[in-house]
Amino acid sequence: MTESVSKESSLIADEGLDKGLARLTSEKIEKTIKTILTNETGARLKTYVSTCVHCGLCSDACHVYLSNRDPACSPVGKIKQTIWEIVKKKGKVDAQFIRRASEIAYTECNLCRRCAMYCPFGIDISYMILIVRRICHKLGVTPHYLQDTAQSHSATLNQMWVKDDEWVDTLQWQEEEAQDEIGDLRIPIDQEGADFFYSVIAPEPKFRAQLIYQAAVIFHSAGVSWTMPATPGWDNSDMCMFSGDNEMMGRLKKAHFETAMRLKVKKIVMGECGHAFRSVYDVGNRWLGFREPPIPIIHSIQFFYELLKEGRIKIAKKYAKTVTLHDPCNTVRGAGLHEMIRMIAHETCEKVIEMHPNREHNYCCNAGGGVINCGPPFKNKRVENNSIKADQLRNVKEQGAETVIAPCHNCHGGLEDIIHTYKLDMDLKFLGDIIYECMEKPEE
Amino acid sequence: MKQHSLKISLIITLIMMLMAAYSAHSQEEDVKTVEDDAFTEQMRPIVPFLHDEHNEIAEIAECGVCHHVYDDNGLLSEDETSEESQCSECHLPAKSKDKTELIKYYHNQCKNCHLQRNAGPIMCAECHVK
Amino acid sequence: MHAVYNFVSGPLLWVSFILFFGGSVYRIVSMVRMAKKTDPVVYHFWSLKYALRSIFHWIIPFASENMRKQPAMTIVTFAFHICLFIAPLFLFAHIILFKASWNISWMYLPDTVADIMTMIVIGACIFFLVRRLKLPEVKYVTSCSDYVILAIVAAPFITGFWTFHQLPGFRIMGIAHILSGEIMLAAIPFTRLSHMFFFPFTRGYMGSEFGAVRHARDW
Repeated sequence: MTESVSKESSLIADEGLDKGLARLTSEKIEKTIKTILTNETGARLKTYVSTCVHCGLCSDACHVYLSNRDPACSPVGKIKQTIWEIVKKKGKVDAQFIRRASEIAYTECNLCRRCAMYCPFGIDISYMILIVRRICHKLGVTPHYLQDTAQSHSATLNQMWVKDDEWVDTLQWQEEEAQDEIGDLRIPIDQEGADFFYSVIAPEPKFRAQLIYQAAVIFHSAGVSWTMPATPGWDNSDMCMFSGDNEMMGRLKKAHFETAMRLKVKKIVMGECGHAFRSVYDVGNRWLGFREPPIPIIHSIQFFYELLKEGRIKIAKKYAKTVTLHDPCNTVRGAGLHEMIRMIAHETCEKVIEMHPNREHNYCCNAGGGVINCGPPFKNKRVENNSIKADQLRNVKEQGAETVIAPCHNCHGGLEDIIHTYKLDMDLKFLGDIIYECMEKPEE
Repeated sequence: MKQHSLKISLIITLIMMLMAAYSAHSQEEDVKTVEDDAFTEQMRPIVPFLHDEHNEIAEIAECGVCHHVYDDNGLLSEDETSEESQCSECHLPAKSKDKTELIKYYHNQCKNCHLQRNAGPIMCAECHVK
Repeated sequence: MHAVYNFVSGPLLWVSFILFFGGSVYRIVSMVRMAKKTDPVVYHFWSLKYALRSIFHWIIPFASENMRKQPAMTIVTFAFHICLFIAPLFLFAHIILFKASWNISWMYLPDTVADIMTMIVIGACIFFLVRRLKLPEVKYVTSCSDYVILAIVAAPFITGFWTFHQLPGFRIMGIAHILSGEIMLAAIPFTRLSHMFFFPFTRGYMGSEFGAVRHARDW
């Protein structure tokens, strides 16, 4: 069975990979790899490759390996099939190798960094997978759907081909909707000097506009001073970070930070998204030369936590269904916000059941790291490769949990597919959903 | 009767004296092992060493080659030898607890000579036979 | 025999010491200098406090989640690494040789203890070998060099055990013991055995990123 998974996966047709493959020549492969290895890597890669003792202890860290028990899917197994070969052969690899490497790097690793906590040497495996992605990007062998998203970023500075007028229109539409509930509610657009700029990912205006509505209600009730920009730069998401298009990632982050500067806000508060947080807090800022983000970045988890702690929002009636918590990699292993998630859940919900392992040791949803953005061709594999998460969910469901709280868009996508495929029949909520539902709202 | 018993006693005494003299002689002349009273704790088996045989094979005639004496200036004495004393008397000064000091001298005495002459045992187990 | 002994215990020993110490210094210095040029991020984000926090959790048995998940491996690997260092450095026979050559000595272990430690190292090497051969996730990433490295480490202990117990052929084994010890020392800087001195750097950097930037534990 273990064999069949890896064989099957290499048969998945993908327009981006297949067409990219057709354009490759061995000279191009070698030249591209050499350029990247020489100009963009050095001591870290060298030390990681020469320090790894091939002990296999990282295997138990990976939800993909734990789900299919295929040694080719363990963290070090993926490294063996990709960067070790690339380094050993100094780029003299064939097109088929690049195709397989691309599929591994883009669809079998979420860059969740759990393996770095299981490797006794703390070898950063996700860093090496990102080098593979960088090579594949430069070679033009990226999964079609992911590349399409990156193109959108490049053309519109947002992830979902949202046009400038559609963006403002959506905000005004949500404002109107919300005014039915709270008459004097505003979604302040382009208000210079507000306390914070609320940034979201493009799927919010595109598919989940009610999240903007809910955030507006929460902010209005808390009486905070906020704004959203009218211009590109409003989207904090970043698939270019995951496709290996670092230059484009830099452009996106620059636009985002500059928008905050233009609005003269004190900080950026961002919606419940994990990868975007990683991009602005940890990766994109570094590409632009900032050790820390040039302006404070507060994730919604922390913002909600602060609002509750300061008593700016009050809970009218606790959420009645039993909930469980899914820790998103990028805000938990990436920012240590796990205790805040718990505080909010316990403040707002009647009963919370923990999944195990949790906090920094959570299992990824298998959607992160751009994997879900590789789209339908890889969906079945993505869901099959996370049966361990399904087991975890089933376990808490048997203990009575009905709702899964996952404060991350990618996690929602991944968990939704898992819940559906494994017939778990559980609700999926953002923290904002729960707070909006349970909070005291101004009477109007 | 009395005379008879006196004779027997005399003979026994004589035999015992002879035996004692013989055994004293054998201790002095026929050395079979390397031992030193300073080694109270045995870390390794005692080294078998057939003194006469060794010297015959090694063609050592002068006692001073091994049983050396150094004068106050640290110079090898030409006419004095030290076969009456144990190595530890000089080589474990001031009742030092560090026995490795004395061991060093024993090892250097045997091993360095063997290495110089390309003959004789040099590895641990060749001398400290179990 | 005397010529061979003189050669392996004389010039070869110096070659191995030079390769080991010189090689280690060279590898560390060149890595540190290269990092300054190619990976300045390591310098920008290095935090001594969090590096030590992480290292601490990974040098204490069972102080990390993965160690608790793999109790057999944890016990074996700690016993192995401890014995690997302690037994040769505090072996009576080795101290005697240091004393004879350089007139320095330090505390030593009772022979029985050293003997048990040697057996632990050999046993651990067998455990690692079986792991490589039997566990699919380890077998998959095992290459020929992994067996060679394992043999390089096991050899001085097997030959040392052989010589100490004076098993048949102990003279040849004694020479093999010295030689294999030298090979191991010389191999450390130039093989994956270099994890010996790269561990604090890789672990420390990951600890710094996790602790100072991501406010999360990495154990």
